[in-house]
Amino acid sequence: MRVKKSVKKTLKALALGLYLAFAIAPILWIFLTSIKPPEDIYTFPIKYWTEKPSFDAYRYLFGFAKFSKYFGNSVFVTMFASIVSTFFALFSGYALSRFRFKGKGFLLIFLFFTQMIPAYLLMIPQFQMFSGMKLTNNLFGIIIIYIGLGATFSTIMSKGFFDRIPVSMEEAGLIDGCTRLGVLFRITVPLLLPGLAAVFSFSFVNNWNELFTAALFLDSDAKMTVPVALYSFISKAGIQWNVLGAGIIVALVPTMILFFFAQKYIIAGLTQGAVKE
Amino acid sequence: MRKTLLTLVLLCVLFTSILFSNTTLRMIQVFASPERTKIIENIIEKFEALKPGVKIELISPPYETAVSKVNIMMSNEEPLDIVEVSDWLLSGLVSMGVLENLERYITRSEQAKYWVDGVVEAARTVNNTAYIMPNAIYVKTLFYRPDILEKYNILGAPRSMGEMMAICQYITNGRDQYGYSYRGIDPVNFMDLVLCSFFNDIDPACMYKTTSGKIIFEDPRALEGLKFYIELYHKASPKDSISWGFDEQVNAFVSGLTPILFQDPDTTALLNYLLTTGVYKTAPLPVGPGGKVYPTFGFGGWGIPSYSKNKDIAWEFIEFFNLPENAAYFCKEYGALPVDSRIYESDPYFGSAVFDGWAAMFDDPVTYQITAYPIDNELWGEWFRLQGDIQERLLMNRMTPERALQEFTNFWKDAGI
Amino acid sequence: MALFIPTFSVIGFLTIYPTIRGFILSFQNYTVFNIRRIRYIGLQNYERVLQSGDFGLILWNTFVWIFFSVLFQMLLGLGLALLMRKPFKGRGIYAGFVFYPWALSGFAIGLIWRWLFDGSFGIINDILIRLGIIERGISFFSDPVLAMVAVITVNIWYGFPFFAIMILAALQGIPQDVYESAWMDGANPINTFFKVTLPFIRPVLINTVLLRVIWVMNYPDIIYAMTRGGPAKATEILSVYMINIVFYENNNFSKASAVGVIIISILMVFTTFTYLVTNTKRMEL
Repeated sequence: MRVKKSVKKTLKALALGLYLAFAIAPILWIFLTSIKPPEDIYTFPIKYWTEKPSFDAYRYLFGFAKFSKYFGNSVFVTMFASIVSTFFALFSGYALSRFRFKGKGFLLIFLFFTQMIPAYLLMIPQFQMFSGMKLTNNLFGIIIIYIGLGATFSTIMSKGFFDRIPVSMEEAGLIDGCTRLGVLFRITVPLLLPGLAAVFSFSFVNNWNELFTAALFLDSDAKMTVPVALYSFISKAGIQWNVLGAGIIVALVPTMILFFFAQKYIIAGLTQGAVKE
Repeated sequence: MRKTLLTLVLLCVLFTSILFSNTTLRMIQVFASPERTKIIENIIEKFEALKPGVKIELISPPYETAVSKVNIMMSNEEPLDIVEVSDWLLSGLVSMGVLENLERYITRSEQAKYWVDGVVEAARTVNNTAYIMPNAIYVKTLFYRPDILEKYNILGAPRSMGEMMAICQYITNGRDQYGYSYRGIDPVNFMDLVLCSFFNDIDPACMYKTTSGKIIFEDPRALEGLKFYIELYHKASPKDSISWGFDEQVNAFVSGLTPILFQDPDTTALLNYLLTTGVYKTAPLPVGPGGKVYPTFGFGGWGIPSYSKNKDIAWEFIEFFNLPENAAYFCKEYGALPVDSRIYESDPYFGSAVFDGWAAMFDDPVTYQITAYPIDNELWGEWFRLQGDIQERLLMNRMTPERALQEFTNFWKDAGI
Repeated sequence: MALFIPTFSVIGFLTIYPTIRGFILSFQNYTVFNIRRIRYIGLQNYERVLQSGDFGLILWNTFVWIFFSVLFQMLLGLGLALLMRKPFKGRGIYAGFVFYPWALSGFAIGLIWRWLFDGSFGIINDILIRLGIIERGISFFSDPVLAMVAVITVNIWYGFPFFAIMILAALQGIPQDVYESAWMDGANPINTFFKVTLPFIRPVLINTVLLRVIWVMNYPDIIYAMTRGGPAKATEILSVYMINIVFYENNNFSKASAVGVIIISILMVFTTFTYLVTNTKRMEL
């Protein structure tokens, strides 16, 4: 029995290790690239490690390429859009979960339908609309579009989390004399925190990485976001891999931080909704 | 007396308000990279210093989406005053009706007198009217690595296509050394360069017609050229290069994997950064069996949107940009060829070794006949996709060269050249 | 009821209205050259798309892409979720690292993996050669089948964290006493999985798969960055085809919109079919 258990443990550790290696190998390569001097990047045969590692690419990124400005823009746009998005999703998810009304099924199908529309199909008509309203080259314009892009998925996810929380908890509150909104905020939301964290995280990742809409709608250098800035390192005459690599690594930092914090809620905390009865 | 004083005061107020009101122009470039943006911004700063009250905002979209972005912006009449128009973008924008006719500016311009041959025609490509003021020329030349070739006792660059094929085949060992740096993505220029070199009577105004008016793809020499090109890929380039972009193509050259490369002048800026001086050299393109070769005449320039509200100031900037000292700075740092002939004579850079390839080609316009593409044809945009597709099939042996040539011929017959 | 207004007005304004415009566009002849003379051309765009010789290949590619991507994303994600179900030391940090492929932007992924798979400069070939498995570099991108294998592998790498997270969340919802009673009844792990775990997570699985199918269908970023749909259209799927039309065919937004409408129709048919077959009434995650 003891042997079996330790064999199981080793196998499990091995499997987890393989998954990890699979996941991080590419980013490790990119990190190594970002500290190489340009002449060591595309060599034949391939060099994994360079004798002269340096953080020049990072210096260039924040100096010449003014990355901190773009980083700031992205943080602003993403946080704003994700927070508002999550807020909207809170309301609509609640309504979809709790209310009974005719056509509810239809609404759900409608939501799923909007997921099917390719983003590229929307871009040109959206640009026409926003151009007419003089909202292009405007960070708030982008924020509005991002909220729109993420609305459906956030709502569906949010509804799912609401479904998991028994209505009885809220009914107890209502009997005690709270308003519906009061019940929502004082009782349900604390239980829903893991779910909200999940919704917020997905929204954040999608908005942080969104490239094509931002590239189309934003003109001024002062308003650029991170993905567009990274894309700019690809020019007619080539790709500056060390700088692009540095940029990719730096761009990952916020999402990694978010994951570390959020996963506590997402993974460990979801037990609450189902078991408490 | 009072009236005159009043009028004078009003005039003063008007005058000063015009003088100190800030005009902001918006300018967009289509070949952006962080370095190029800096170069252009430096020129803009100089202009702003000369003209207080004028500000120019430079928009630099990522290269891969720039053309689409310009099309979409201009079709929605987004405020813009100066647009960089690449040769392939030109006829589309003219059809949209969004480019201002620049004839009146160009005929009065002093600079136009010094333009290199072919530049005026290029500006007037569509409807024989100038819609842009060219700012750079892009002509491909042969880049090679003397250090790699020396390892195999080969000195100097190949002078003919046949020689190039022989050299490339000789050094290719199928494992870690190949000869020719092929590019599979958007390969139009490359195939044409090789294929057309098998002719000696190509029409200088249209790459795909002979001087007698026939479409070249119907000519048996085209078949020879195409077969040669396919052989070059199979025998002298890595198999993967069928899906290489400019990045892999140049990097293969830099790493020594493929010491022979055909590319545009702006590649020199990148190569100077990645390789030490003298490691790479340029030479004129190898001539074909016909004794000639036909480099294409690529160009880019500045245009003014027809709906711009600041056309005159925009034109002033364009002229300023093309002043010899600014144009020379731009072309050297960025790596394009200037349009102003005075720069070639006065600037030492253009006598340096890096420039050898182009110098030799410009000196002998008969052998190295610089030819224009039919970019004003409405179907030009579809052409390079078709050609790219067919090339892929050819190289994967899914289509015969004869069939490919037939497709090309039919396409251009339908397009009506 | 007022609670609906924010979300649905945003959706209506930003999604429905443009889609209708796009739908109308598909019946016109809107290209860069025709901006001044746009007119209705009926079903011509659809005819040109459906009758083009490559359409069959593109459809097949789309099917292969979706099927294998989603299947393996699910299997790998399921495996990881099962491994991570019970808490272990450092699970939090591990989670942060193993889930991160999801956090990368599509085009960055495409660029990086394109380099990794390169026939001469890619580390995948390098490792295979060093391990002695092959003698010289495999050229992934010049072979239609290998190119598809490459892009699908990358999509799996990108998408398995999503499945893992969703399934893990669902697994956490299974009450512990269900497992305990099964164990006391003497069930072995495999039986437990199929008879206990699977039924519990079935609704989540189905909905996640459905959602992923929709997303994967509409996700051209990876393929576009890696192969542009090549070689010779071997990896071109419907959404990549749509982008290629815009870039290479005079910005023919009308034709691209027609392809977009076709994509939506296919997805609608597929979704309806799935719900009928699996008899799942409630849509939840």
